[in-house]
Amino acid sequence: MADENDILEYLSKGGKFSAPGNAPARYRAELLRMMASFVDSEMSGAAGFADWINEGPGLKEKIACTRIVLEKLDHAERVLRIMGEFGANVGRYQTVHPWSARVGRGDDIGVQRRAGDMRLNVFHYPIRSWTDSVVMNVMMGAATVIQLGDFANCSYQPLGAAFNDILPRERRHAELGEEGLRKLAAHGDAQRREIDDSVNYWWPRVAATFGSPKSERTELLRKFGLRHRSNEALLEEWRDRMSVALSSAHGSWGGNC
Amino acid sequence: MAHFHPLTVTDIKRDTRDSVVVTLKPPPEANGDFKFIQGQYLTFRRVFDGEEMRRSYSICAGVNDGILRVGIKKVDGGWFSSWANEELKIGDTLEAMQPMGNFHAPLKPAEARSYLGFAGGSGITPLISLIKTVLDAEPKSTFTLVYGNRGASAIMFREELEDLKNLHMGRLNIVHVLENESADIDLFSGRLDREKCDALFSRWINVKGADLAFICGPEPMMLAVSESLKAHGMNESAIKFELFASAHPGRAKKKSAADGIAARGAKCSATIVIDGVARVVELAKGEQTVLEAAIAASIDAPFACKAGVCSTCRAKLIEGEVDMEANYALEDYEVERGYILTCQSHPRTDRIVVDYDQ
Repeated sequence: MADENDILEYLSKGGKFSAPGNAPARYRAELLRMMASFVDSEMSGAAGFADWINEGPGLKEKIACTRIVLEKLDHAERVLRIMGEFGANVGRYQTVHPWSARVGRGDDIGVQRRAGDMRLNVFHYPIRSWTDSVVMNVMMGAATVIQLGDFANCSYQPLGAAFNDILPRERRHAELGEEGLRKLAAHGDAQRREIDDSVNYWWPRVAATFGSPKSERTELLRKFGLRHRSNEALLEEWRDRMSVALSSAHGSWGGNC
Repeated sequence: MAHFHPLTVTDIKRDTRDSVVVTLKPPPEANGDFKFIQGQYLTFRRVFDGEEMRRSYSICAGVNDGILRVGIKKVDGGWFSSWANEELKIGDTLEAMQPMGNFHAPLKPAEARSYLGFAGGSGITPLISLIKTVLDAEPKSTFTLVYGNRGASAIMFREELEDLKNLHMGRLNIVHVLENESADIDLFSGRLDREKCDALFSRWINVKGADLAFICGPEPMMLAVSESLKAHGMNESAIKFELFASAHPGRAKKKSAADGIAARGAKCSATIVIDGVARVVELAKGEQTVLEAAIAASIDAPFACKAGVCSTCRAKLIEGEVDMEANYALEDYEVERGYILTCQSHPRTDRIVVDYDQ
């Protein structure tokens, strides 16, 4: 029988698991935590965007927003199903936190997780307008794509496969946001100022979702084969991606990047 | 939630000197629960000397064979596998959870795919299920199996594999690699290590033309095979891994005392508040966590990892004291305010009040 050190060595060399029975306790726990964070973020993200469907200026925008809400909930369900294979109480899980609850716009909750709710903290902040929702979706959408790209092919194969399926759809959500942003930016200076305000508001909050540069947990996750790249490398890629996306939508923008 | 069901042993066949193939029949009411996907495994439980042991064994049947069976190879010092090999008999009952595992790819009956399978020792068991199912459900697909063993006498399912080759003429290729026996061709003797794989892939097996690879065996072999497959051009996502069946650690051993014998031990009266309703449950000190006591009393408490990391089972301790075994989830300020991870909490006092709503 394989002991835990053999399994850790197996993982650190790129080995994979395909079933919950194989996973040692700490691995299983970190995996569950990662899945919980994804599920909570998708559920609370969907809950936040749902409020703005009615504010979409045209049918195309309303449909895009509806699609994002629908698919994010579907992604949450797919990963929650995998959590269920580990014995998570799936029915109970869906109702354990008020997913649409938000803190005040001006509150600063830092990076501390709140009350066992595992959503990324950016999803605790409220969206204040249609333009704000488009900007948030562009910025967090790109972050999600980069972060999921690192999780795809992770050492727990069923989750890696689920993220591989989810990734192109999340990429489409971010693209829908960028299309919307280009349209908005064409509406004149007042609109552009609103975009600037939103970019400045969301920038540090989205950047914080990448975690601290010297995170012990990230190192452990890399040892487990659940993550591959460093927090810093992912953040760097996001900054690059943002300067392209924002400047193509909005030539005059000169924010924090 | 997964439950254990009693399965009846309807046949035991000795396959090699130290392995048996056990055929099982689920009770009629649980028949549907034991429909399986190729490559899945069953988890069994049995109490040895007062301790509950869980072991997982891969199902070695095709999905349309109408039969449920597992192959159990005796492992040195392995209680469960020794017991199954030496004492288990037809008519006995084995408790098993419904099939689990994800060592498979969706079947595509219309496609002509090329599969590669790699088995080390008893790692053959899930591959038998995959080979049988794929050759039956995908009439145009082919399967190449590379099967490593110490010697010829240790080869599990030897005859059955030959029969499958004849049944699916030209669609199943088998390459035996034997460690302790010299073959006519060097390629087929030795261990399934990186060097052996590189040699096989450059001369014998077309990796570039293959669609999927399934590997099951000991860890070093699995790593060597996958590294070599990648080096020969296979995409990482096309490679599926299953740890050696007998290497499944199963869940941590658990004292079976939790249910009855604990009556002699100290008790704690725990008031558990959830969804505005308070219930009092009796908890065996040192035996049960707060979460376990809640679940045992059919309280619908939230939980996920049960290892102190995910914080789904967080609750506020209103009265009394607990010890937390591990806490990777709560911040210091949360602990100061009285929050606990119920999956890790053992009561110290004779009375506690825990609130999941706060």
